[in-house]
Parts: sequence; structure tokens; C-alpha cells
Amino acid sequence: MALPGTVKQQNTYDAIVIGSGISGGWAAKELSEKGLKTLVLERGRDVKHGDYPTAMMESWEFEGRTKISNDRLATQEKQNRTGYTTHPASAHWFVNDVENPYSEEKRFDWMRGYHVGGRSLLWGRQSYRLSDLDFEANAKEGIATDWPIRYRDLAPWYDYAERFAGISGQKENLPQLPDGQFLPPMEMNCLEKALRKRIADRFSGRVMTIGRAANLTQPHNGRGSCQSRNRCIRGCPYGAYFSSNAATLPAAYATGNLTLRPFSIVNQLIYDKDSGRATGVRVIDAETNEVIEFYARVIFCCASAVASTFILLNSVSERFPHGLGNDSGELGHNLMDHHFKVGATGMSDEFGDRYYRGNRPNGIYIPRFRNVSKESMRKDYVRGFGYQGSASRVDWTRGIKELNYFGSRLKADLIAPGPWRFGIGAWGECLPYHENRLSLNKSLRDKWGQPTVTFNCDWKANELAMRKDMKAAAVEMLEASGLKEVTPFDDVSAPGLCIHEMGTARMGRDPKTSVLNQWNQVHAVPNVFVTDGACMTSSACVNPSLTYMALTARACDHAVSEMKKKNL
Amino acid sequence: MNFSNDAAAARLISRREAIQRAALLLGVTISPSILAGVLQAQPAGGKGAKPTFLSTAQFDAVGAMAERIIPRTDTPGAIDVGVPAFIDLMYGRYLAADEQRMFAAGLAEIDAKCRATTKGGFSQMEPAMQDSVLKGVADASKDKEKSFFHQLRELTLLGYFTSEPVGKNVTHYDPIPGPFQACIPLASVGNVAWTR
Repeated sequence: MALPGTVKQQNTYDAIVIGSGISGGWAAKELSEKGLKTLVLERGRDVKHGDYPTAMMESWEFEGRTKISNDRLATQEKQNRTGYTTHPASAHWFVNDVENPYSEEKRFDWMRGYHVGGRSLLWGRQSYRLSDLDFEANAKEGIATDWPIRYRDLAPWYDYAERFAGISGQKENLPQLPDGQFLPPMEMNCLEKALRKRIADRFSGRVMTIGRAANLTQPHNGRGSCQSRNRCIRGCPYGAYFSSNAATLPAAYATGNLTLRPFSIVNQLIYDKDSGRATGVRVIDAETNEVIEFYARVIFCCASAVASTFILLNSVSERFPHGLGNDSGELGHNLMDHHFKVGATGMSDEFGDRYYRGNRPNGIYIPRFRNVSKESMRKDYVRGFGYQGSASRVDWTRGIKELNYFGSRLKADLIAPGPWRFGIGAWGECLPYHENRLSLNKSLRDKWGQPTVTFNCDWKANELAMRKDMKAAAVEMLEASGLKEVTPFDDVSAPGLCIHEMGTARMGRDPKTSVLNQWNQVHAVPNVFVTDGACMTSSACVNPSLTYMALTARACDHAVSEMKKKNL
Repeated sequence: MNFSNDAAAARLISRREAIQRAALLLGVTISPSILAGVLQAQPAGGKGAKPTFLSTAQFDAVGAMAERIIPRTDTPGAIDVGVPAFIDLMYGRYLAADEQRMFAAGLAEIDAKCRATTKGGFSQMEPAMQDSVLKGVADASKDKEKSFFHQLRELTLLGYFTSEPVGKNVTHYDPIPGPFQACIPLASVGNVAWTR
């Protein structure tokens, strides 16, 4: 498309960032703070910090209280698969499935929100570092391809990300879960404290720590501390958890270098074969359907694993007939998510005279203890899992299944707090398999005429063997800790439900087997960076967002340094 | 930590206690049922409300059943806080088609049996008879994964415990708790759960 010179100039920036979620917000902050005129393109509506319509609403202010109406369900059938995202307090953050369809050769639960801030408003806020146990695993086991970085490469960037984001947590000095720059930890309740001690006493090398969470336990960088409402998913008026809206985007705006354009769907990158670079992006305005081009020296793809991969696959040229940067054929492959919803619950008759005040938006964490040492090696699977959980006094919902009685006694019982219950669920590593993939579907088009995504991904023998142990180890630990009525659960779900999509444009040392290099640059198009979940070479077993923050900040630093050297 | 020092302690003196204290000062006693009448805010969907989706007969039966599950005592009952209107709404706009059928059929079956002995059906029976009918339904539903009675119980408890009068005056309303207090004596909050 030939544009008059002035328009082309108006639409030219130093850097373009696609997406405004956790990774995009970080790219916006880092690049604009380093002096680059930065354009952030967000496909959804704008959301300014504080623009959280349900944040202060009580249950009785929602028509259906906690239930999703049939009308709403008709437009969010897939988004409803988690059972919690479409709660009336948060449904407005999740996409309309009718307008944004996708296909499933095998079931894949793709949960997402199209608005400024993306899933940084909706995430679980658990923030853990990967370790060399993770970075070395592929190479040691001969699985997939080696990570091109090690822990020492990322450690200073974890420090940097944590200092800005504000991560509360407790140091435990574990090699498999490195400590970070923590704000004071949240406190465990009475039963959790007792169980921490018993687990340590009865299981050598097993630690139960408080969750490391991007929730502030004290005011931090102009944001307020946590008020224990546990309504984070609605958006926090106090800015007490890390989101793009509360943290990185305000920092980026403050530089004067940020332009944020909502309703801007990036359809593809524009590749110039003479320079071997991407020169810009082609955008569809979501409201007017107008097609507009923007140009920049560097482009950061931070649209989420699936969406960034979609954009690359859809960026076809003579040089890249199968998608930009796809010389390896790995683009769209090696799709991963964590597998979860397996563990155990147990009841306690202790601490009947104790309670707590507030809804702590965080639980406990039992870091990986399998395949971390000679003594803990398993014959039935590789890698491992960590448990997340909490103890609490059961609320009135315990009365729903209890059919034995009703009337004034039931009512009086349910007004009082119920017995203490402790539950843990495992989050397990999923291996990267070439055949677990997403692809473009040109026969099903979205509202704007774009191709859509088709998923073909499932759990395999290693994950399924691990799940057996995830359940058994939970039961063993709860029983050994003195809990009663220990009940296992294994609600195996399709990939995607954990909302940790990863791996579809992986990093690697060799351009023949990977899409990105050690700086998150597309091997063959070095001014294109991908720093969201797509870049992950393996999934580890910990929640990945903190790693995206650190990788993004590191990649931005590299990009600017290369620009200064005139290499980009 | 000393709960009584907290600003929220004021909230822990419930309206119920406040009214009882006022009554003591006036030298009168207030029976629990009168008290509940005083307490009830009569929200839309309480007594005298009209159904939108259920028939009047269904609505009356559902209301009477909900009231036996959560009756008025010294705290409001299901009808006081608008549970029948809530169930009417759930039936009309929130239950899936198969759930709707299960609910309507279960309700019809019970009411038909009741009409064999009482002309007006379940809603016109004496409370003791109503309890005995519901006990029979509960026993028959025990081994089922889902049944009309499961639905009725869930919707009654949900409608009750997520209502404004209950959330503000029966359980402890504390929308902005502040720093998490991990371990407090239950007695300091009078053995009453926090509003969720």
C-alpha cells in the first residue's frame, strides 16, 4: 500500500508493541523509559486504572448474584468452561465467543480478554522463578530443544521485575525455587501454620510456604497495599496487585513517549525482503474495519502465546510462505499449558475457636519435590509439580449438599463459620510435543474477516503418569499431617483451562529447531521480538507470568542496546 | 490483636442487638417473630411480590418451601429477604432448559400430592405438615446426584446468604477488611461468619 510521505511519517514510531497485557505493559514501560517513541496496539477497548465497574459491588447488586444468565451463557459458552471467569463480577473481561470463534480438533479451553491490560487484570498473581532445574531439563533429558539461556542470564531481570511489580513472599533457600526480592509475606492462618510444621517434620525436604504473590503487603511505587477483599479479578481500585493498568502503563505514560491505540487488531507484520526486517504492522480498526499501517524499527509481539503466534503465521511473504520467522517449521507447535485440578482435601477438628479476618487473595505453596535430587527421582515420569492450596473455615455453601436437615437448626449452623478444611491442588509441568499445535483456519473467519485458530493438543503419557502421583502424594501428605476425611480429586481438564498457554514460538540455540534466539528475537528477522508465553522452550511447573516480565525487560534492554549500536 | 479496638467492632453490634437494647430501655420485650418483622426490609420479592416466570401457585409453593428450609427466627427468613422472587428469576433466566424441566416437574409432583389432602396445596399446609412433606422429599433425594430438592436447597441458600439484609445484618459485613488478620479468636466475632 503506497502512502503519502506525511501519513507514513505520522504512523512511524521507534517501537511498536502488540498487546497490553503483562508482557506488552512491560515492553511499553521499558522501551518508553529508554526514550523510544512507542506505540502500543491493543485489539480491545481502553481500560484506565480504576475503570473497574464491578470492583465495589456486593453480591446482592448483581441480578443473578453469583450465577451466569442463559443470555450471557449463549455468548460465552467457551469462556464459561472455567466455572469462574463468567461470574457476573468478571464476565465483562472475557471475550464474546460468538464474535471470536475458534476450532478444536481436540478440546482446548482458550480463555482471554480483549481490553487494555488484557489478562494482567485477571491473572492469579502467583509469581515464581524458574531455576536451572527447568532451564537444563530439555538438554539433560534429550527432550525438544535446549533453552538458549540459563538461570544466571535471567536472575538479574527477575530481581528487576520483582522490585517494580512488588511480589510478597518468604525466602526458603530452595535451589528448585529461587528466592526473590520480596515484600513481606502474607501470613498463614492457624491451621496452615500447624500444617507447615508437620509437613516439614514428616517429609524430608518438603516445604510449605506462603504463596509468592503480586499482591502488595505494603504500599509500593505509589500503589496501595492489599485490603484482603480477594476481588482482584474485578480490577483493584487500590492498585494493590500488579497489572499493566495500575503499574507498567502509568509508568510508560509518564515518559511522554507512549501512544496507546485501542481497538487495533494487528492482522500481520509487514516484511521487507531487501532489508530482511519487518518494517511495521497492518492493523484492522476493530470499530471501523479500516486497515491502517504503522511502522517502527523494532516490533515486540506481546499479544499472548496464541495471538502472537497467530499474527506470525498470518504474516506470509515470498520469503516466509509458512509464517514470518518460520524457517524451522516449529511456529505454532509445542503448545503447552499446565495440567492441574488434581489433589486432595481434608478436614480438621483443631482450632475450632479460631478464625481470621479478611479474604487473603493468596494461598500456600508446596514447591516441587519430585525429580529434584537423587533421592527424589521417579521411574514413572520426568519433571514435577507444585501444590497450591489453603486452609479456611467452610462457608454456608456447605449446606447445599447436606440434605439431612433443614429449618432453624440449618440456618443457625450456616450463619456460624463451618469446620476447617485444607485443600491442595497440583500444578504440573507439561512437556513440549511437536504434535501439540495450533494452526490457521482459513475456512472459519472472525467478525473482521480474519482466519481463526484451530487447536490440536492433548496430555500424553508423562502428564497422565504424573497426575497419579499428584493425587497420591497429596493424600499421603494430608493424612500424615493429621487431617480427617481426606478426599482425593482428579478433575482432569483439557489443555488451556489453566490459562498458561506457552511454547508456540519457542526460544532455542538453533534456527533449524526454534523460532526465537536467546534474546527473544526471531532468528531470521531480528527486529521482531516475541516475549509472551509463545517463547517458552519448556513449561516448568510454576506459574509463568513473572518469567514473561523478566524476559520482556531483558529483551527490551537488548533491543535498545542493539539500536544504539545500529544493529537494529 | 484486639478486635474491639477496631473501627469495625461497631459493625459487630448487629441491628438485632441494637433493637433489643432499645427495647430493654423502653421496658418492653420483643418476641423473635416481631423482631424479625422489624428487621426485615421488605425488599422487592418478599411478601406480596408477584412472580414473573413461575405461576402464582408455583410461586406460593416455592416460597413456602424456601421458608421451611430457612425459616424466620430471631433473624429474617427466606421470604423476608426475597428468596421467592430470586428463585423465580433463576427459574426464568438462569436455569438451563433441562434444569427448568426438573424444577417444574419436581414442584408439580409435590404440590399434587399435597393437594390430595389440602386444597390449596403445599403453601396452605400447617408448618409441621410442610416439614414432614419436605423431609420425605429430602429422604427420597438423598442418593441422587441432582434433584428438585437439590435445586431448591441451592437456590434458597444462595438467595438467602447473598441477599443484602443477610449480608449486612445477619453475617458480618466487612467489605474492606484491610490487612489480613490470620488468626483471631472466633469469640471476638461472636461465632458468626463473614459475609462472602
